[in-house]
Amino acid sequence: MPRHRVEALLGLARQGLEIAAEFGTHSIEAMIWVALTVEASVYQPGSFVRTPTGVRFILANPPLRTGAFAACRVGVDGRAPTATGVRFRASPGEGAWSSADEVSEDRPLHFRPGDPVEFEAECTDDGRSGPRTVRLELECPAIPPLVWFEFTDTPRRTGTEP
Amino acid sequence: MVPVLEVAERPVLLTSSASAALLDGRGDLTLPRETRGTRVDWGGVYGQLVRLTGPWTVDLTFDGRKTDLPSLWTSAGPIRGGWQTRHRIEGLELVQDVVAIPQPAGVGRRIRFASSEDRPVPVQVTSRFAPFLFPVLVEGIRPVSFRVAPSPTGVVVRQEGFALRALARAPNLTISVDGAPLTDLDRRGAVRSIEFDHTVEVPAHGRAEIQWEIRGGIGRDLEAAEREVGGECVDLDVVGAALASGEQEWLRRTPELDFPDAPELGIAYRSARSALRALYSAPGDGLVGAVAGYPWYSAIWCRDLAVMLPALLWLGDSEWVERSLTSVFRFQSRRTLPILGGEPGELPMQVAPGPIFLYGTSDSTLRFPEVVEQYHRHAGDRGTVGEWADALHRIVEWGRRRVDPATGLFRHGDEAEAIGTATASLARVRYGIDSPDTTIWDSADRRDHAIDVQVLWWSTLRVTERLLRHTGDHQRRGVCHDQADALAQLLRTRYVLPDGTYLYDTIRKGVPVHQVRPNALRAVSAGLLDGPTAARVVGRAAAADLTSRWGVRTLSSDDPGYDPQAYHEGQVWSIATAWAAEAAFEVGDRDLAVSYLRCLAARYAAESGWANECYRGDRAEPFNSCFLLGFSVAPFLSLLFERLWGIRVDALRGRVRVTPQFPTAWKAARLRHLRVGDGHLDLEWQRRGLVANWSGPGTLVLETTEGEQSLPAGTTAEIEFPVKQA
Repeated sequence: MPRHRVEALLGLARQGLEIAAEFGTHSIEAMIWVALTVEASVYQPGSFVRTPTGVRFILANPPLRTGAFAACRVGVDGRAPTATGVRFRASPGEGAWSSADEVSEDRPLHFRPGDPVEFEAECTDDGRSGPRTVRLELECPAIPPLVWFEFTDTPRRTGTEP
Repeated sequence: MVPVLEVAERPVLLTSSASAALLDGRGDLTLPRETRGTRVDWGGVYGQLVRLTGPWTVDLTFDGRKTDLPSLWTSAGPIRGGWQTRHRIEGLELVQDVVAIPQPAGVGRRIRFASSEDRPVPVQVTSRFAPFLFPVLVEGIRPVSFRVAPSPTGVVVRQEGFALRALARAPNLTISVDGAPLTDLDRRGAVRSIEFDHTVEVPAHGRAEIQWEIRGGIGRDLEAAEREVGGECVDLDVVGAALASGEQEWLRRTPELDFPDAPELGIAYRSARSALRALYSAPGDGLVGAVAGYPWYSAIWCRDLAVMLPALLWLGDSEWVERSLTSVFRFQSRRTLPILGGEPGELPMQVAPGPIFLYGTSDSTLRFPEVVEQYHRHAGDRGTVGEWADALHRIVEWGRRRVDPATGLFRHGDEAEAIGTATASLARVRYGIDSPDTTIWDSADRRDHAIDVQVLWWSTLRVTERLLRHTGDHQRRGVCHDQADALAQLLRTRYVLPDGTYLYDTIRKGVPVHQVRPNALRAVSAGLLDGPTAARVVGRAAAADLTSRWGVRTLSSDDPGYDPQAYHEGQVWSIATAWAAEAAFEVGDRDLAVSYLRCLAARYAAESGWANECYRGDRAEPFNSCFLLGFSVAPFLSLLFERLWGIRVDALRGRVRVTPQFPTAWKAARLRHLRVGDGHLDLEWQRRGLVANWSGPGTLVLETTEGEQSLPAGTTAEIEFPVKQA
């Protein structure tokens, strides 16, 4: 494990102990429930797939914010998120695709609790194996600050089992 | 004209101290609402501030025809402690009662069938719900995996440490999950819906009954509650009667207000009082407070709680305030906790059973010293001053660490950044909202020194100075006094525009930001500005770019950044309307102040008793708005007592000051049963004077602008007190 991860882990453990000492062990337990649920409930584990033209993944829930979003961008491996070459559909695996660069205030992307949305983003295959990092950015006119979501996972090849 | 909502559009909110049901009133627990521009169904059951279910529906199959309750709806209305809907299909009448149950936290539904048919009628009934099992504190997450297990009278669903039990009292129960029969084995994984199927045979000219209950929240609390009450459905009539009786008893202890010259304000008072009562929450883990709002702020947010508690003091519920303050101070951070965004001395942004809590706002902490002081004055309770003195001292120390040494101003912004940073290198997923600032308008970037936050810091210092008088800590008191004076001077010199018409909204990187927001009015209400400047600020805020017919915008419509549908960059907020009323009272513009109060009253009337969080900036239409927010009713309630009646209670010294600010055209006003310490005060004002009746123990000194008068217990006094002309 890299040193910075060990340090971060120890830092978290220390804070966890402090919270438990101050507010009781139930508090740290309950907050772990929340953290684990959010981690498991937004990005659908195993949905990350390498396609012939890029990557595909499913979000099972809105990332933090429900709403109608007027802009949607995806970036892979640190590249600046863009709407170009990004498409999405509300019924993973079967719905019609919509293009992210056509998303606007009049034609928003809707995110609702428990309603999954599948994304596909074009990106060049550099041939590298191993984990990739995907960043999704969303803008909601009703409540403007940018909402962002990132995950790191190893994509499967299309047609392989998770 | 203020648009009037159709009655059918009025959401039905049923609450107990630990649970809530959200429904549209037509039979099912469904409640589709516009939410941040999209439509989300918030209907369902909430227990211990955990959303237990999504929409909960009932289908009926009768003579081979499938139908549902809304399709058969004939009428609806409130019943004791709940909501009743009536439905009819041919010779069958169905009466459904829905009740929020406090213990175990949940909701019960009962359908009574009455037949006028000459033959027995079999009805297949399907109750269907989607489990949620996640606190609403994280907006819009429905977990993707659950554990479902059968239980003797229904089913238990778990998700991490959250749990619900769905149970039924009905014959011929079969349970299925996503269409497949539930076996004796646990089922794990995604669950879209859980169905309870029953066949009810209604005898010829006879009756039948079916009942369901969904209860839960924190799994261990559910188990503990069921050890006490058992695993059967509770008696809804008993629960409903207890809720209704508790409600009546609470109302009986609150004051009554009458304004014969503005009866709509009296009606609005009663409406706002009931709305605030619906937010009471004692969800478990010893927590007491009030839910911020419904549907999507159904958690105890401490900023909102601090705004609500003064209203509860005016309503006479100092016990609830004391317990709420104790709850909040219990979670005061003593250490730096980056994973929760906490710094030593900071009070939480949110608390929920678990306990689950989170820090990271610039202003929540600063709102509590004033509430503590007001609590002491209303309750006449000096005992807790000592108990809370250390907590208040920690708040002041927290504030001092945030003072920018270069400017002498309180610095805010980037409060929540540490949360993500602390976990970034470990988490498989990371998420965030680029909301670098956490003032009351937390989607607007108002760094580094927003005017209203400075006023809160000044108030913290001033209040602490006064409270330290009780503890005899003269050294600390002197330091607070000097700092407050210095800050007040800074606010006058650095925030007032050169032409003296308004205040800068904030100072960023040393540069004043000229945005016209209602937040500047807080400096007026605090009495920090000289009279002429304060009057100009109030007049400026009343201009059409900031004040609309339906309330006050969060940002001037003339500002380049104005957007009528942006939450904090143009939408109208009722709390901002209340700020404008308070500032107008402060400068003595009574007619303007009352016009703001009337504006709020019109909203409550238009919304059939609820009070939306916010409206579009360009038309009187709720948008991205909880249908009920404590922010929207509590300040209105407080203003009626504090400013319109001009009452200051000091039960510690046995004194009440009354300096009414009724409009000059008014002739009379009445107030009955105002709690002062352990007694109650009635006031009746007419132009010729004031009549006071004191029923409490000991002597009460009543102060007015015309002098003061002692009222021994059980006496009535008439004071010559002609209202001063504005």
